[in-house]
Amino acid sequence: MKSVESLISEIKNLKPFPKIAQQLLERIEDPNSSSEDIAELILYDPAITANLLRVCNSAFFSLPRKIESVHEAVNILGMNHIVDLVMVKFGSENFKTSQEGYGLHEGELWRHAVSSALISKDLAARMKIEGAHSIFTASLLKDLGKVVLDRFAANAFEKIYNTAKNKGISFRDAEKAIIGIDHAEIAGLIAESWGFPPKLVKMIRNHHSPKDCEGPEAAIIYMADCICMMMGIGVGADGLSYYFYEDIARDLGITPDVIQEIMVDFSIGMQKVESLIGAD
Amino acid sequence: MNIVVGISDMKVSGTSGDNIITYSLGSCIGVAIYDPLAKVGGILHYMLPESSLDKEKAERNPFMFADTGIPTLFKSAYALGAKKQRMKVVIAGGAQILDQKGFFNIGKRNHMALRKLFFRNNVMSTYEDVGGSVNRTIRLDISTGEVSIKISGNGEIKI
Repeated sequence: MKSVESLISEIKNLKPFPKIAQQLLERIEDPNSSSEDIAELILYDPAITANLLRVCNSAFFSLPRKIESVHEAVNILGMNHIVDLVMVKFGSENFKTSQEGYGLHEGELWRHAVSSALISKDLAARMKIEGAHSIFTASLLKDLGKVVLDRFAANAFEKIYNTAKNKGISFRDAEKAIIGIDHAEIAGLIAESWGFPPKLVKMIRNHHSPKDCEGPEAAIIYMADCICMMMGIGVGADGLSYYFYEDIARDLGITPDVIQEIMVDFSIGMQKVESLIGAD
Repeated sequence: MNIVVGISDMKVSGTSGDNIITYSLGSCIGVAIYDPLAKVGGILHYMLPESSLDKEKAERNPFMFADTGIPTLFKSAYALGAKKQRMKVVIAGGAQILDQKGFFNIGKRNHMALRKLFFRNNVMSTYEDVGGSVNRTIRLDISTGEVSIKISGNGEIKI
């Protein structure tokens, strides 16, 4: 089995997150930047522009007329959506393979990533929590550690599975016990190596342990992940083997009814979400 | 033909050669029914226990809830010639996140809603694989009535 150090060194084999994404994240968090400042970044990248326009014109938004420029997209959909869509484009690069160790077919982890990011955003809006962009991005990228573990620790999965099952511990605790590091920690290291803001790194690292993170962001990401697991979206051999913290839900003011309403709304919009998942 | 049942979805068939399958049941429940004489069967994949949560959406999609989806599943099979007293009924899903209790435990509530409905309507399930923290897939072969349940990471069992 590979050592933790050699696993960490495998991070460099992921497709790097482009610099422009980091700049976007910085500008969106900066109260002094205007939407022009942000649009400007996107405008200078023809590949992003092309992809963005394709997604804006997909069934996900079902707009009455065709959008032909970034400015038009910003005006009609709002900067809010545009930044998320750019993140989806970059995020997809590393997710689209299958993760056999986790028992996930091609594209399933990506479906989970996009779904949980959308649900996070929905939750943040319902809870009237600011900073939804970093919540969306962190939620989207939180399981990158699974991609690394699956690729480079494939032979450990049977042991992880049996340990979780026989000891009644979470799959993540079993990863830690067998490999020495778990997928959330690895995802945090990836985010760090890509130069993400420390706050975003923390949200990603603590997506299963939101109590170790100040503020409601990690808790929102955590709850969205739980909702996705319940719906069975992108759930593999790890199943629902993660801990549920009722106090986290209560502190956020999330009731069982809110969870059910989100599930209802999400499943109704599922077809549209599929068009977003398959957009590039 | 392979017929896939999505989340909050249902499919019935009386066509030999059809395979009905629903993937990835988390806290959702998959109900597979089959009448061996009529060779008619179907699968429902419901997500939540009670339609009282949102009556309007339940009307638009009855397969979302146990109390609207289960009767529709049975009625759709009856319409193709199936009879209740001959029906084989297999239940899978209703999983829960570790340490999930009470009202937050949608998997358990999904199962309770089904049992209540079955009890009231004199339906007995032939086989149940419910609860735990695993992810299940359920498949029904319309030609033979064979149902199989696959637990992700743990192989498939035939019922």
